Amino acid sequence: MEAGSGRIVLRKHGTEAAFSELSYVYPLKLLSPRLSPENASAVYVVSYGGGLVGGDRIQLSVVVDEGAALVILTQGSTKVFKNRSGGRLSSRSQGTPADAITTQVLDVSIARGGAVFLLPDPVTCFRSAAYNQIQVFRLHSSASLVLLDWVTSGRKSIGEDWAFSRYYSKNEVWVENRQLAKDIMLLEEQQPLPSLPPRTLAESLAPYSCYATLIMCGPLVQNTLSSLSADFGRLTVFKQASPHELLWSFSAIGDGAGCVVRVAGTETELVRNWLGEKLVALEGIMGPDLYRRAFG
Amino acid sequence: MATYYAPNGLHNEFWTMSAFGGQYEDHGKAYILLLLSDSNLPTGSFVASAGLESYVTHGFFSSTQSPPRDKMDATIDFLQDSLRSYAHSALPFVTDAHMSARKLLSTHEDMSGSSGVIDLDDLYESMTLNHVSRRASKSQGVALLTLYSKGFSRPSTRRQRHLRHEAVDSELLQEDRAGAFVDELKLLIRQDKTHGHLPVCWGVLTACLGLSLERSQFLHLFLHARSLLSASVRLNTIGPYAAQQLLLHAVKPLVEFESRRCQHLHTELGGDNSGDRVDEVTHGPAVTWPLGEILAARHDLQHSRIFNS
Repeated sequence: MEAGSGRIVLRKHGTEAAFSELSYVYPLKLLSPRLSPENASAVYVVSYGGGLVGGDRIQLSVVVDEGAALVILTQGSTKVFKNRSGGRLSSRSQGTPADAITTQVLDVSIARGGAVFLLPDPVTCFRSAAYNQIQVFRLHSSASLVLLDWVTSGRKSIGEDWAFSRYYSKNEVWVENRQLAKDIMLLEEQQPLPSLPPRTLAESLAPYSCYATLIMCGPLVQNTLSSLSADFGRLTVFKQASPHELLWSFSAIGDGAGCVVRVAGTETELVRNWLGEKLVALEGIMGPDLYRRAFG
Repeated sequence: MATYYAPNGLHNEFWTMSAFGGQYEDHGKAYILLLLSDSNLPTGSFVASAGLESYVTHGFFSSTQSPPRDKMDATIDFLQDSLRSYAHSALPFVTDAHMSARKLLSTHEDMSGSSGVIDLDDLYESMTLNHVSRRASKSQGVALLTLYSKGFSRPSTRRQRHLRHEAVDSELLQEDRAGAFVDELKLLIRQDKTHGHLPVCWGVLTACLGLSLERSQFLHLFLHARSLLSASVRLNTIGPYAAQQLLLHAVKPLVEFESRRCQHLHTELGGDNSGDRVDEVTHGPAVTWPLGEILAARHDLQHSRIFNS
């Protein structure tokens, strides 16, 4: 296996789910915590040194077999350090050699009645860091998915405010042969135009320092989906004097088969608490310990 | 056709020809450009604010800050953020739809080849993940196709029919093919077999009218920006003279820059004719302004609103 690659296979034997494969190569590490039986199976995706260095490439493949449920977590935010070859990363990221960009690739397939809850901590890109994240999910029509993908503005404590050089995130969700969602977000500093006032990435995203995208679909999340939809429909916005500290939106996709929720918050913890509150119905599916680990 | 893949000089070409400086067949193309940039064109864009109304309502235009935020500055900021994200996410679809339609119109195979355009339309649907933008995009896209078949086709008076019978030249044949193609697309939309998204329909429309790819891309971004400015006038955030000022001094450099920056982007279904797959991570469509997505999706929550998006 290549450096940074890993593979998880979860199978259900009777009522017991067990990892028939859990393999990984440095700098990737996978840990499966011991949990009380009311919890689903879980894996922590960990990187040595608590972060990814410029050029690191993580490639994880996950197979969840019939009827099994897997929760994927991280220990603290995924820190993306500045590119080793700092000088090469100019404002024109298209000129950056692809192998210099820190990349995480995740490939997930979920069989009949299976479920994956991908609930990592947010990605935090440090100043001048460049990061690509490419995630593909292939679901059986009766499988369920909760996919959380979020990013913060950097290390606030040292004044970083959307100061990385490039953040690219792609999420593809396929249900059988149909593409339910293809979400691609690219955040990078814009080149200033001579005749226009300069507009930085931080200004475009202000006053928020954390953006989250949540994609959900499948039978296990129908309750959560309809309660979110109802909550959203009840909102009424009157003309505001200044932006709220948290802003969210809900859009149904695939004729109601799933949804995309986006959240922006002035603080990461505001977003985390909001998610924990809105996704509380997942506690019964994931189990109380895992729910607390994800949102606590 | 010689200028179709002109590597540079796109903007000079656009401006000089629209100023009627040229001679040759460009007269006809300039005339089409004038028609397409008419703000009275019935495309439904006057009910779309592309998230601007929601942006204002949610306090991003706030004048209660101290010092109060200048409305012209706030408008330029929104224009930049919105246009950049739209260019990066929608222009690849204009490009690929234009190329796909063009290829279809220049071959002599039957019209069942519209599947390339349908695939693009499907892809745009799965990449446009907020319901308000999706809705606005569909209604404007369908309006463009109707505009083509009702507003750009040759009037079928008796005399015209007679003339048509006499002169079967290649231009007329091309027009017939384009007409049949657009009619087929409209039928598929009516049957709910495809969506009719704006960037895809724009690519098809401009290809049917024989506009070059560069002009199509440039004009699409220009119209998006102009429609935002019309919306800000209707919202009374800036006056009509200020909007005109911005159109000339802020939108021009922005549209020029963005159309140049995004003209070589493709969707995963398109390509630059070299047969190589596009590297989506570096040259594919992407949303670049997540705040705009949230605000656009919150449009319907506004207690009072005058736009549909």
